[in-house]
Order: sequence, then C-alpha cells, then structure tokens
Amino acid sequence: MARVMPSPRRHFLPWDRPLLPQAAAWLAGGWEGGAPLDLSRTLVLVPTRQSGRRFREALAEYAAARGQAAFPPRVVAPNTLVALGVAEDTAPALESLLAWADVLRGLERGELGDVFPAGVPEGDVTWALQMAQQLLRLQAALAEGGLRLGDVAARAGADFAEQMRWAGLAELEARYDAVLAAHGLRDAQAAKITAAQAGAATAEFDRVVVLGTPDPLPLAIAALAAQEKVVDVVIFAPESESGSFDEWGRPVAELWARREIALGAFEDRVKLCADPAAQAGRAAAVARSYAVPDGLVALGVADPEVAPLLHGELARAGVAVFNPEGQPQRGEQLWHLLSALAALAREASFAHVEALARCPDFLHWLRARIGAGFSPAKFLKQLDDLRADHLPADLAEAQRHADSRELALVGELRRLLRTGEFPHNAVAALAEIFAARKLDLMRDADARLGESARAWTEVLHACAAAKERFPALGEAGWWDLALQLFGDTARAVEKPPGALELQGWLELLYEDAPHLVVAGLNDGRVPDAVTGDAFLPESLRVRLGLKTNAARFARDAYLLQAMAACREGGAVAGRIDLLYGKTTADGDPLRPSRLLLQCADAALPARVAFLFREPELAAETPAWTRAWQLAPRRAEPPAKVSVTSLKGWLACPFRFYLRTVLKMESVDPAKSELDAMDFGTLCHAALEAMGRDEAMRDCTDAATLREFLLAKLDRAVRRRFGDNLALPLLIQVASARQRLGQVAEVQARERAAGWVIEQVEQGFETEIAGLVIRGKIDRVDRHRETGAIRLLDYKTSDTAIAPQAAHLRPVRGDETPPPWVLVELGDKLRAWADLQLPLYRHALAAQFPGEVTCGYFNLPKAVGDTGLALWEDYTRDLHASAMAATEGVCAAIRAGEFWPPNPHIDERLDEFAELFHRGAAESIAWAGAAKGGGA
Amino acid sequence: MKPLRHEMILASAGSGKTFALTDRFVALLAGGAKPERIMALTFTRKAAGEFFDEILKKIAGAASNPAQAAALAERIDAPQLGCADFLAMLRAVTGAMHRLRLGTLDGFFAQVVRSFPLELGLTGDFEVLQEHAARVERQRVLQRMFARTGGLAPAQQEFIEAFKRATFGREEKRLGAQLDGFLDDFQETFLAAPLREQWGNPARIWPDGSPWFEHEGKLSDAIAELQAALALRELTDGQRGRWATFFAALPTWAPGMELGDLEYMLKNALAVWPALEAGDAVLTVDRKKIALEPGECAALARIVAEIVGGEMQRRLETTRGIHAVLRSYDEVYHATVRRAGKLTFSDVQRLLMPAAGGPRLAQGDAFDDEAQRLQIDYRLDAETDHWLLDEFQDTSFGQWSILRNLIDEVVQDTEGRRSFFCVGDVKQAVFAWREGDPQLFQEIYRHYNAMVPGAIEQRPLVDSWRSGPPLIEMVNAVFGADEVLAELFPGSASALWNSVWRAHTSAVPKRNGQAALLHAETEEERWAATLRILQELKPLERGLTCAVLVRKNATATALADYLRHYGHLPAVAESDLHVCTDNPLGAALLALMRAAAQPGDTLAWEHVHMTPLAAVLAAENILYPENLTERVLGQIHADGFERTVEAWLALLLPRLQPDAFTQVRARQFAAAAGLFDATGSRDVAEFVAFMATHRVRDAESAAVVRVMTVHKSKGLGFDVVVLPDWEGQTLESRRDGLAVAKNEEREVEWVLDLPPTLFRSADPVLSAHVAEEKADACYENLSLLYVAMTRAKRGMYLITKPPGKSASANFPRVLHATLEADEAMPVRVGQLELEGVWSAGDPDWHLAHPLHEAEPTHSEPAAESLAVAGLVQAPRRPARRPSDEHAGELAAAKLFALEGRGAADFGTAVHALFEEVEWAGPADGAGLGVKWAESGPATAEALACLRAPELAAVWARPAGAAEVWRERAFEIVLDGAWLTGVFDRVVVERDAAGRVVRATIWDFKTDRVETEADVAAAVARHSGQLNLYRRVAGVLTGAGEGAVDCALVLTRLRRPAVIPRN
Ligand code: SF4
Repeated sequence: MARVMPSPRRHFLPWDRPLLPQAAAWLAGGWEGGAPLDLSRTLVLVPTRQSGRRFREALAEYAAARGQAAFPPRVVAPNTLVALGVAEDTAPALESLLAWADVLRGLERGELGDVFPAGVPEGDVTWALQMAQQLLRLQAALAEGGLRLGDVAARAGADFAEQMRWAGLAELEARYDAVLAAHGLRDAQAAKITAAQAGAATAEFDRVVVLGTPDPLPLAIAALAAQEKVVDVVIFAPESESGSFDEWGRPVAELWARREIALGAFEDRVKLCADPAAQAGRAAAVARSYAVPDGLVALGVADPEVAPLLHGELARAGVAVFNPEGQPQRGEQLWHLLSALAALAREASFAHVEALARCPDFLHWLRARIGAGFSPAKFLKQLDDLRADHLPADLAEAQRHADSRELALVGELRRLLRTGEFPHNAVAALAEIFAARKLDLMRDADARLGESARAWTEVLHACAAAKERFPALGEAGWWDLALQLFGDTARAVEKPPGALELQGWLELLYEDAPHLVVAGLNDGRVPDAVTGDAFLPESLRVRLGLKTNAARFARDAYLLQAMAACREGGAVAGRIDLLYGKTTADGDPLRPSRLLLQCADAALPARVAFLFREPELAAETPAWTRAWQLAPRRAEPPAKVSVTSLKGWLACPFRFYLRTVLKMESVDPAKSELDAMDFGTLCHAALEAMGRDEAMRDCTDAATLREFLLAKLDRAVRRRFGDNLALPLLIQVASARQRLGQVAEVQARERAAGWVIEQVEQGFETEIAGLVIRGKIDRVDRHRETGAIRLLDYKTSDTAIAPQAAHLRPVRGDETPPPWVLVELGDKLRAWADLQLPLYRHALAAQFPGEVTCGYFNLPKAVGDTGLALWEDYTRDLHASAMAATEGVCAAIRAGEFWPPNPHIDERLDEFAELFHRGAAESIAWAGAAKGGGA
Repeated sequence: MKPLRHEMILASAGSGKTFALTDRFVALLAGGAKPERIMALTFTRKAAGEFFDEILKKIAGAASNPAQAAALAERIDAPQLGCADFLAMLRAVTGAMHRLRLGTLDGFFAQVVRSFPLELGLTGDFEVLQEHAARVERQRVLQRMFARTGGLAPAQQEFIEAFKRATFGREEKRLGAQLDGFLDDFQETFLAAPLREQWGNPARIWPDGSPWFEHEGKLSDAIAELQAALALRELTDGQRGRWATFFAALPTWAPGMELGDLEYMLKNALAVWPALEAGDAVLTVDRKKIALEPGECAALARIVAEIVGGEMQRRLETTRGIHAVLRSYDEVYHATVRRAGKLTFSDVQRLLMPAAGGPRLAQGDAFDDEAQRLQIDYRLDAETDHWLLDEFQDTSFGQWSILRNLIDEVVQDTEGRRSFFCVGDVKQAVFAWREGDPQLFQEIYRHYNAMVPGAIEQRPLVDSWRSGPPLIEMVNAVFGADEVLAELFPGSASALWNSVWRAHTSAVPKRNGQAALLHAETEEERWAATLRILQELKPLERGLTCAVLVRKNATATALADYLRHYGHLPAVAESDLHVCTDNPLGAALLALMRAAAQPGDTLAWEHVHMTPLAAVLAAENILYPENLTERVLGQIHADGFERTVEAWLALLLPRLQPDAFTQVRARQFAAAAGLFDATGSRDVAEFVAFMATHRVRDAESAAVVRVMTVHKSKGLGFDVVVLPDWEGQTLESRRDGLAVAKNEEREVEWVLDLPPTLFRSADPVLSAHVAEEKADACYENLSLLYVAMTRAKRGMYLITKPPGKSASANFPRVLHATLEADEAMPVRVGQLELEGVWSAGDPDWHLAHPLHEAEPTHSEPAAESLAVAGLVQAPRRPARRPSDEHAGELAAAKLFALEGRGAADFGTAVHALFEEVEWAGPADGAGLGVKWAESGPATAEALACLRAPELAAVWARPAGAAEVWRERAFEIVLDGAWLTGVFDRVVVERDAAGRVVRATIWDFKTDRVETEADVAAAVARHSGQLNLYRRVAGVLTGAGEGAVDCALVLTRLRRPAVIPRN
C-alpha cells in the first residue's frame, strides 16, 4: 500500500482587493524587515511565467516598503514544476523529434493500418517530421494527465471504440522508446511522469505553496501529492467560498457551471463591439483617457485577432505597448537572412540570389568586402537587368552574362555554405557575413540582432548535438529543421518603462491595476474551446481524466468572478470593462462568452436580448476623395527621338512625356519568360542574319532557308539565354521556330518571284521641325527585273496587321485633334496613329528616288497568315499628309506639348495605369514641360 | 417525444424561411432533443450566426412573455408549454452554446477532415488556402514545373507536348498568361473530371458515331468530282463566283483558321445537311436554289465533313491537350501543396466525396452505416439526431453526395427519433456557377419517398411577410405568366420554372407601397433616374431602409460613387473594394516600396516624386535610389511591412492634412500590410501583388443607401429597392469555356472545347448540349430576376430601356411581355413624373412615413470619459536587469560562433561546481571539502581554483561568525527600479552581536582572460554591475555598501581582481 500523504492546507485571501499585495504579505508571514526577506527555501507554484514575474516584483515591493530586499522563493509555473527533478538521461526535444522521425520513416507502406488507414508514404522525410511533431504534441497532451500513448487503451476501458488504433500507437511508442534507449535516452514526458510519481520536484525545498493557481496541470498536482511535505494552497477567494474549491484550489466544475457571476451594473460594464477593430478602438480609448495609464488601467486580450489591432491603435496614439509573450524569431531580420542562405545552400537558383540580395545584412557584407565602390542600388539593378535580359536560371548562368564582383562573392558564400557539414558550414558562412560588423548592444537594432544570434546559436548547438545521434536528415533537412526551431523561439522583450502590457486572459488574475479592460470575451475565446481533435476527442479526454471543457469553463468563470470582485468588491476603487465582438475581422459571426450568461434564471431572457442584439453601426464611409494630384517633374522636350516613339505621342502625348521624356519604365521582378519585345528581337536577329548572308539572299529553297533561320535563332537564343532553357522559353522558342519556318516558305517564294534583299537594318537620322528622328529599317528589297524597291518591317505580334490599319485610325465623334493629324480617306475621316512607314520612305527618298512600296512582313501566331502586307494604295497625297502630320508631331514635341492625356486608353493595356485614379487628366496637375528646349 | 415528420419546405422569397427553421429548431427542443444533437447547416457563416441569434431571441421572447410563449407553443404543436418551459429551454441552449452544431457545410466538412487526417492521407491539421496564398502556391508550382537545370525531365517534355496540343496551331508566345488562364478557367473542371477518357473523347461524345468522321473517299476526288459536275451545270455568274471562291479557299484553309471564304458555302450546305447526306439536297447559292444530284451531294458532303470533321478533330485534340496540361500541373500541385496540408475548401469537399474513397464516410453499401456514423460522432464529439439544411437549392450534388449517407439513415429511421428537414427555394437558384443544383430538391423528394413511401412531406410557403400587395402583384404578373415564359423560353427552362411556380400572396396586406417599371434609354439616364427617385422618396430621412441592386460588383462601386458625388447621398457599395490601389495614397506607397526594392524601376521612382512623398524624401535626405533602397529595405527586414508603412505614413500625413477618405484608406493600407506580414514574407514583389488584390468590404452602416449585387442581396429585405441594371444580352447566353456534359449522377461524361456556332449547331449532340446549357442559363437568369424583385417591402422601381425590336429574350423583353406593358405612359413617383410602362400601388405611399430629424449617428467612445476618477495606481517600476553585457562595441561574428556557446556551458559547469563549495580549507587537496565525481575540464578548472593560493580567501571561512551565500537570487527595489539578480558567492561576516561587519562579493569569471590588459578590461567591463551588487549586498546585510568588498574571481588566471568603488 502507498504511503499516506498529508492533505494540503488551504488558505483564503479575500477577493475584495487585488491578489498580489495580499499574496506577498501572506508569504512573508510575520516578517517585519530588519533582515532580508528570505524565502529561498520555498517553492511557489503560480499559474504562468508572467504571473511569477509579477509576484516576484510584488515581493520586492513588499520588502522595499520595509527598507529591505528579498531572497525570493523559487517561483514556477506548472509546466516548469513537472520538469523539476527529471533524470539526467532525458532526451532533449530535438532528439525526441528525430527519434520519432526515425521510427516513422522506417514504417512500411501497409504497416500499422489501424493508425494509418490511408497508408504510410515510405521513406518520406517531410511526412515523417510532420507526423513526429504531431505525435510529440499528442504525447505532451497525454502527459499533462500523467499518461503515455501506451496507457490509453487500458485506461479508456474495454468498451472503448478505438482500442486498435491506440494499440497501434502504443506499438509505435514502444519503437520510439527503443530508438531513444539505444542512444541512452529516455522520453521527456516519461521522465516527467516518473519524476512526478517520485515526488522529486520539491526535494530541495522546505516549503511548498500553490499560489492563486486555479488550473494547475493534473501532473503537477500528482507531483505535489506524491511528496511528503504539507502543501499550502492559497486560494484567491473569501473563506466563505471554501466549498467552491477542491483541496488543490481548483474551482469545483459542477458548482461553477451553474453559479451566477456577480457583475455589478452589467449593461454598463459589458460592451458589444462590431468587430475586432471596434474592440481595439474601445480598449485603446479607455487607455488613452488616462494621462499615465500604466498602473491605472490594464488591458487583457482574449482574442488573438484583437491584439495586433490594439497594439497598432495604441502605438498610433503614442501609448507605449508591450507584449509580454515576446515575438517569434520568425519575424526577425536574421531569420529572413538565414532562410535566404538556406535556400542558396540548397540551390543556387537566380531567384534565391535575388532574395538574398535584398537582405540588408548581406548588403552590408558586400560593402565590407568590396569597399566604398559598392552600391546596393546598382547591384540590385544589375540583378533586375540580368533577369530582364537573360532570365538566368542560376548563379552560374548569371555570371556568364555579368562579370561582377558581387556575384563572385555570392558564389564564394555559397561555397562556404557547402563546405563541410551542417551546422559548421552555417556557422562559417555567418562568421563571414558578420566578420566586419561591430555591434553596439546599447543600440536597439544591434541588441535585437545580438539576441537573435544567441538564439540561433543555441539552436545550432542543439542541432550539432542531435546530429551526432541522428545524422540521417541531409543538409537541406537540417537547415529546414534549424530554421523552424529558430523561427518558433520567442524573442523575449524587456518591458519599456511605462509601457502598457497586452496580457492574455490567464494572466489577468495577477493583475492589480484598478481599471481592467478585457477584450475578446467571446465564446470559443473564453473559455477556449478544444473540439474535434483527431486523437483526443472530448469524450476520450473525460475517460482519461485529462483537462476537460467543463474544467476550463469553471476556471474561467472563477477568473472572471475574481477579476470583477477585486475591482468592484468595495474594498478598493476600481472598474472592469468587458468587450466582446459581434464578428471577426473577416465578418464571421461571434457569440458572447457563455460566462456572460451566468446569471439568475429570471434574468436570462433579458440578458440574452442584451447580449445578442445588433451592434451600433459604424458611421458612414466618406466618399472617395482625391488626396492629391500628381505633379510630374518638368523636363525639357527631347531633341532626338526614335521613329517608333512618334506612335506613342499620337496615342497619348502625356504618356509619351512619361515614357520618352521622363524615361519612366517599370521592372517586372517576376519575369519568367520572353516578353513581346524579346520575342521580336530574337526573331529579328535571325532575319537580319538571313539578309546579311550572301547565299541566303539568293536562296529559293525553303528548307535551306529554314535551316539557316533556325540555326541563327538557336544561336541567338543560346547566346542570350544559355543552353538550359526554362520551360516557358522552350515553348516560346518553339513558337518562334514555327514562325520562322513559315517565313522561310514565304521568303523562298518572294525570292523566286524576283525580290532580292538589298539592305538590312539600315539606320537613318532625319531632322523634322527641329527634331532629330532616328530609326532603322529592317529590310529593303529590290526586284531583280523591275528594279522596284520595297521597304519592309518585320512584325511579330500575334495577329497579322495591315499597314494602313496600323497607321490610320477612325476618329471619334467627341475628339478634336489638330488638323494636321487628320486625313480624308475616301469618304472617311481618319487620324494618323503611326508614322513609321512614311518616315522610312522619307528617310530613303534620296537613296531611292523612284517609286517605293512599303509594308510589313508579318510573323503572326496563326502561321497561315505569315507573309507580306504591303501598303498598296499608299498615294503621294497620303504621303504628303503623313509628312505634314510628322511635322506637326515633331513641332509639338519640340514645343513641349504633352497635354492632355488621352482618356480612352484601355486601363489593362496602360503601362501607366497605376498613376491614374478616376481619369488620367484629373489625376495630374500639369504645369507643362520645362521650357528652353535644348539643342 | 412525438415523432417528427421529415419535411422539405419550399419557401418562396420573404415567406419566413428562417422563421420556419427556427420554429423547427424549437419544436425539436420541445420534443426533448438535446440542442447539441441538432445539426443545422447553411452556406455562409453570417447566415449561421443570424440563425442562432434568431433562435435565442425567439426562445427568450417566449420565456419572458406569456403571449409569445402561447403563440410559439401553438405553432410548434406543443400547447402545454409555457414561459417556464421556454426559460428552461433557453438555459439549455445557452449552456450548450459551444457544442451546438450550427454552421456551414464547408465548416462541417472541414471539421470531418480535421478529425480524420490519417484516414484521408493527410499528416495532421491542414490549412485552408485563402486567395493570396493560393495564388502564391500556384506561382510556386509553376516555377517548379518550369525550372530546369539540366536536361528536360520526361514530365516536362510531356508538358510541352501537351501545351502544344492545347494551343493547337496557335503558337502562343506568352506561356504564363495562357497557363494562368487555363488554370482559372478549367482547374475545377479538371478536378471534377480527372480522367483522360473524359476529355475530348469522341467515343463518349458521339457514342453512336459522328457523321463528321465517317465519310469515305479521298477529298481530292470529291473536289474534282464536284467541280466537274458543276462545270456542266447551268449556273448564274453569281453562283459560279460563289463556287469559285469556295474552291479557291479550300486548299489554304486548315482547322483553327477563320473560315473566311469558306463560310458562305459551308453554312448553306450545313443548312441542308440531312438532305445532303441522304443524297437529295436543294442548295441555295446566291439566292437561287440548286437541286443537287446524289453524286454531287455525296461529294459536297464529303467536303463539308472534311471541314467540320477537321475542326472537330482539332477541338478534340485541343481538349485532350488542355487535360494533359492540367494533369501535369495537378500532379506537381498535389505533391507539393495538398500533400503539405494546404487545401482549398473544394479540396476538402472532394476528399470526402464518395468517388474519392473518403474516410469510410460515404462509401455506402461497402460500409456499415451505423458503425460509420458512430465513428464520426465519436471523433466530432457529437451525435446527430436531427438535420436541418438551409438554402437547399444552393447545395451541390457533390455536397449532397457526402451528406447523403448520413441522412439516408435518418430518413429510414422508423421510430421517429431522428429527423430531416430542409428549406430552400428553387426559384432562387442563382449559384449554379458554384455548382448549386436546383434539381436536387425534387430528386431527393422522389428518392426518399421511393425508399420509404410517405417518408417526406413537401410544404410550400407562398405568403410573403416582406412585400406589400402591389409588389406581390408585380411578382405574380411576371413570374406567373406561364404562357409568355413558355413562349419566350421554350423547353426545359420555362417548364421547370412553371412547374415550381406558385402564386404568391402578401401576408402583410396593409403594407402600402408602389411597384413600377420605368424607362430610361442609357445607363447614365438609368442612374440619374435612380438618383431622382431616391431624392424624391427620401427613404433614409423617413427611417426606411433602401438598396439599389445591380448585377456586377464594378457597377455597384461606380453607382455608389455616382450617388455620393451627384446626389450627396450616403451610398455604400457593398462590393469588395481594392482599398490599397484605388486611391493616390496607396498607389504612391506601393511605388515607394517598388522603387526601393527595384532601383531600376524608374516608373516607381518618378511616381513617388510626383507625390507629396517627394517632400518627405527630401526632408529625410533621401536623394538617390541608393538611400531609398537602404532605408526601406532595412525597415522592412527589421520590422515588417506594417510598421514600415506606419513609419512612412507618420512622416507623410502631417504634411498632408488628409481628408477623411484618405485617412480611412491609410488605415486600411496599414492593416492590409499587417495581414501580409502574417504570411512571414519580406518580399516586396509579393507584397505589391498582395496589396493590389487585397479587397475590403465597405462596412455595413446605418442609414445608408446600400448598393450591391443581387447575389449579395439574397436573404435581405429593404423598404425601398431600385433595380436599374437589367439590360444586356439574351438570358440564354451560356458561359464561355469548355462544354462539360454530365450524366444523371452528375458525373462528367465528356468535356469538349466547343467549336464555333456554325459547326456545333450542325451537330445534333453538341447542339443538344448547348441547348441544355442555354436552358440552365436562362433558368438561372429568371431566378436572378426573381431574387431581385422580391427584396422590397414597400417600394420597388425597375428601370430598363424599352425592349426594342431585338427578338432575343433579354430582361427588358421578359418584363414587358409578362407585364403586357406595351404602351409607354407617365408613371408618378411622389411628385416626380417619370416615363414608364407599368405601375401598381400608391405613388405617395412614402408620405405615410414622416420625415424626421437625422438621428445623431453613432457616438464616438472618445466623447464620453472612459476613465474612472480617483483610482489608486498600482505600483509599477521599471525593471532593471543588471546585465553582464559588455558595454561598447562587440564583434558580431563572435555571437555566431558555436565555441561561444561551449564557453558558456563551461562557465555554467564551473559555477555549478563552485556552488557546492561552502568553505574550503588550505590548498592541501584533502581539505577542499568537495567530492566531485566527474572529471573534466570544468572540474579541473574548479579544483585548480580551490587550490590556488591567490584564491584561498575566496573559499576560506573567516574567523568569527560568518555565512556564505551561494548562487543566491535577490529581488530589490533600488533607485525606484525593480532589480533582479544572482550573487555568485558572498561571504558575510558578523560581529558578536550578530551585526554584519563585512561582506565580500566574489563574482566568477571563466572566460578567456589572460593578460594584464585583459584583467583591466574585465574589471572595467564588470564594475558597473558589481558596484550595483555591492549596493544590493549593502541593503541585504544591513551594513551599507561601505562594508561590502567586491572582486572578480578570474578562474583562468586563478586570481582575484578587486572591483574599485565608484
Ligand atoms: S537556292 Fe538552292 S543552291 Fe541556292 S542557297 Fe538556296 S538551296 Fe542553296
């Protein structure tokens, strides 16, 4: 028979005033000052770490009030308590994870069908690690009640439906234990259970106190019950409530499930808010209404959606805020640098290089290595240009096109990352990156980096140790695991003086500020709901004696009662405000917490009507208003433009100004295939080569021409994009090949018909109305017999175009263009939309004074349409009109006429669409171009 | 309890669907059902929330009001119940709130999947992919498919081939856009029909053979034959010309090309196709008939079959290509996204569908239903006895196939312990594009009654509690005009509609109002008329609710703006607004980020400099892209996007004195940035993409004109409704995209990229399919109009253009034909006289609702004082942690060294050993007073220190009364701050009276201190902290700091170093 352990001794501290000062005084006992308040032989159990911190502060305060200081007790939260006194051979978390992964990876496909009915993906590391984490969580949940996987089947009883499944899990756990044992280790939860049973936690203390902890872990209670010291249980409630708590100070579930919670002036204290933003606004307003809020008002947030909004709301109002839970390292700069490095280590893809290049610490390093000549902006631009021009797949490919010191250094870093094993390669790479950096830990940013570095090094240490036992993860696997562990670590933040803390629900019992505002009092938040667990449904939790929803409810009912009573109980002045939301941020409905319905039956209908009413609606939304008009830089009109840009002016003079004068051009950081321009350039390159090649000019055999064109295309593609084309490029090049193949047919026919290529890429410059226009004519053909000349421009757009349709557009009824743009064509009025071919003719007029035809050589996507589209009825009159239009355009450009913008540009095709809101002209405050028009 | 009938309620609009549902819920409770055993499912979480609120209000009302109790008891056929019973019921329901099964179908399915992850091949919990995340995943999958570092993988080769086939003959040069389009348009179709044989399979499309592929003989022979025959005929010049054109065009045409010159003859030939095939056709050419000889018929048929067959073949091939493309994509997607536990709601649903071999959940016959249900009940912690399904017309067949087995069992339960109840209105089936299936209602009814005769009862509700008599008159006139509808939409659309139609009645006969059909030619005029009506009626000033319903979100946004701008009406578009990009501020902020991340982006850079941000940049001395890159990337990486945005807003807004709208947008922009931060990404390009697509719904607010789409108005009612957006093309237009043919069980039979009209209308199978699709589209459009016309309570104003001459059955035509409104006439609305054709009710109805003063809207919390006066501040002290930190600069690389951590371990070990030492005697080895079992570097170091003569004073017990504190923690308030720390070792000496006379603090330092310079540096480094400790010890001992000595113990050098007093 087991030893008979002494029952705990219960003490009650009345809840008509705050807990903290009372608790300090109670623990100090008769101490009057004179000597230090020595509690170092006492173990105190408190609900959470943060409440422990609060309590130690209260002890310091208590001692200070008597001119002294304290040797504090050991203050622990339940999960720390159960880890006290565990044996030395307890497996660290990482080892446990890897041991599980080992077991799972070793499973065969159909094995343990009761656990894995859908089968096991054999040897899948990712799966094994995910599953391992799942099983570790399950073990931890069971250990709270002193159980292991293997205990469940027996404990759940013979009528339990999932016996087989749990037998399978027990089998798995046995294998896992065996793997650990082979390394001389023991599962951590098992160790805690053993330690609890031995009552080892309290061994080094004389006195054990459970202080205001309504919800200790069952395992913690077991640990206390198993030792021989008498435990003092301090309950924050009046003595008269003694029947409401059990011997360990836990609220009695059946009782609290029904009892009324006394909340004076309910309808004044409980506020319905429309959504999280409204809750945050309300809570912040209360805080702001105090000149110095800290110590007068405390903020509790039970709904995680509200916390960041409240944080932002207060920060904007200039109230310092502090989240005692800390921030995960995942949000830190170092984490992002490390993931970029991990990616680079795994694969030197160009995208990984680009991501790394945008890490400030990496840029620091480049500067340190290269010296003052290094420019981050130039480097990033170089990367963007590389992508735009060459779409490099990886670092090596990029280096082929750019001999850059920066890229060489990336290569060097990658070699470091891949020399030796993880974590030593990671350490070496970081040592290199930070080699020249000095940190001043008094500076906030440096202190954060320092803190991150320490946490990361801890993780690497753990990895190095674990790797000796479980080496089989692979480099990438270790990186991932380390990053994950590091990312999950919380970065502890010191509370800035005077900052308001945003506390979780369970922290609020130890809060002593007289005015408490709690947001998020919604069902599912308080009490939190645990439903639909794939392994531990509520019914099983009940069977196993784990924490149940009923226990959670009792705890929260008690907490709310105590929080309210100690502010509104009369002994000290205070107030509690409870906020709850009608919907989530996404608009999903929320219900008020059930705690708010703990009233007398007679009051229930009114309470329901009050709580479930519709919230006041927000004030109306303000109408769309323009914050400002854009004021474009005033630049001088150009002295020289390309032929093709004239089309742009005709389409929209203002956009011409942006494009050609201000040279505004965007970068597509996600470019992954050829754009229309690239596509055209590649085709042009092959076509130009054909025109320059003596033999090809005279060739009439389509197959030969085809072969030539394709060979030239392939060369151009290889030169620009390398040998390993990404998939989209392969498809695009195939399309280009298809089109060029068709060109060969047409060219062979044309040559056979007597047309010989005379010139290709013929450049020209001509001045019109003071504006120099330059251009290049793709091709000039001369007919062998007739001597006729034709000027051709290659077009690779998707559909074949006719020159006249491309140059002349219909005129809209509501527009009044300058007369020189207009031309009568038959009985229709047309406006010039392009002047390319007329200008070609004009430019070569001296060279070819006779009759000249011009047109397009189309290479559209419907290969059937490949061929010449000549401007057959291009008359002298038309040419005269075109030249008049050209004069007009050139004069306008020289005169700086770039207004107004064309309102009819399709937004989807407008490269400047982002500048305009509700009308292009309306968006701009046009002050004209700069005057003085340079030479 | 009394056995409950299984019921299907056909609830017309406004007939109290929710009322019926909540009554049913209460009736179940009254019958003794536990609240948590009732499963009530609907489509939106909002509806589920309202449903719950209604139940509570109903019971609470009955619990506190005897009259309400009696009425409710009467309705639920439990007359014995009174207030007290309802109060008990209220307690039971609220007490079980957290266990109630009131939710959405999606939510229920997700819960089941969550409870059976391993059964479904998932690892554990899954994440439901939201829009942005889904897009990012798609990009990643595509990148993965595209990436190539060596030779082409077979899968990639396959993909290229597939893509070529999918774009057959149209060489696409932009792959990305094309592929995105495929995925947007066809992915769901693929998932519903993943098998190759379902796509472009002629054997499935034409099980009895297709005329296009069965013509024998060489084409060239047929052409030659026909040409020869025609040459001998008497033809007009026009006819010869037509034929010549046709023959000339034949050789250049290939499938996929425009028909061009072939079209004329082809069209005419297809018009007489059966006769042509029969060998006896009279062909019209150039307006004259030619009676063809059998030989000529055969030849022409051969040629036509070549063209049509060629096009059909191409479409089949393209369809198969699209399938292959989608399959390649889905393979990668499945392996990397779904397997990693990232699912869309439709993935979740598909996992549970019987065809997917779900968790023994819906495998029907193969599995024992009872055991299966028990397992679900166990895992979900819930047993379901009663099912309540809302909006049943929107349930898809897939969803039903999951629920079916669970409900089959209920319906077959003969003891009446369990029940099934569903509510819906097949006249409001406007979600066919989301697979809502209006046919299900009748199918299920027949199915269950066939299974258990009389099992289910159907009950129509036609009393509208919403609309007053004039409105109902109009609704009845339009939707009850069975003959007109049958004429406008011959076939199944009108047949189905007319079969479900029941004349409505108004349950609020005293509700005065007006319904009218008005005319306005252009959209602008319709908007102007809308504004005039609202200005005339002044609904908001009369305390009436008001909505303007349109068909597209974009229209809603634009129209709301119009009403605000021209009418100064508080109009709110309840559409999703692109709040980050629809205004200059957001656009400028995005440009700022882009300019920083892409220094070559001159568009972004110039853009920023056109805005007030230019002045901010100048003030911040950011003159070059260089400075901007460093500043902004630094901020983003350190603090994330939200705080970066906040920081820039803080610089910008004070210069701007922004208007209220811009302030709202600024807040929304920052909030959206916060959402993006939650993804963990610091990638500016991803950020920009996220922000550009981020949408926010304008808040529902009091006393506003709500402008929204008809779809969103479903389930809502308003006093006044204006409907100005009913133009457009025929109601029968089918959706673009692939044709998907399904069988009775809604399994996909075949998929085909439909050829153009000329081709498909010649094919009986395809034209039948298209006709079916058109009928569905038409039915859905009628439903849409029905929903729109049943939202109003008092005033309903339809504004359309006159139907004109077009014969197509568009909305104006339907309205005019059914209302028999041929004559234009003036319609009076209040004092306004508008052009219209139909009106019923009282044009002055609104005058019965007096104008009243605008109520003060919404009190700002800031207005009241929220602070409580006279509170006593709880003590709050700044915390001070005496840190070991080196002041001054530190080499960063050191922090990353693993050895550093080793040194820390070593230090901890040495400290632990020293803690064991109370007193140690002279360094003779024996008298050290310690027995350290393990040997190692730490033990060696500790032992050496114990033996070191220079350190003897550390360990020696002083003469007289003395005590030693080892690793002693303290808490103290010092200089107003709260200080926590730990002494390594303090030796406290007392006089005879027990007073402390002297204390010595020894602080152990195990780091590498070797030279005198090191020693000096260590002393300098630690003296700040240790002088603080000296003061602490002074307080604790009561002796004052003057009596406290303090020294470092340098374990490497085995000597002390005294800390000078400061
Ligand atoms: S025409 Fe004949 S010989 Fe001349 S290049 Fe072409 S293939 Fe060669």
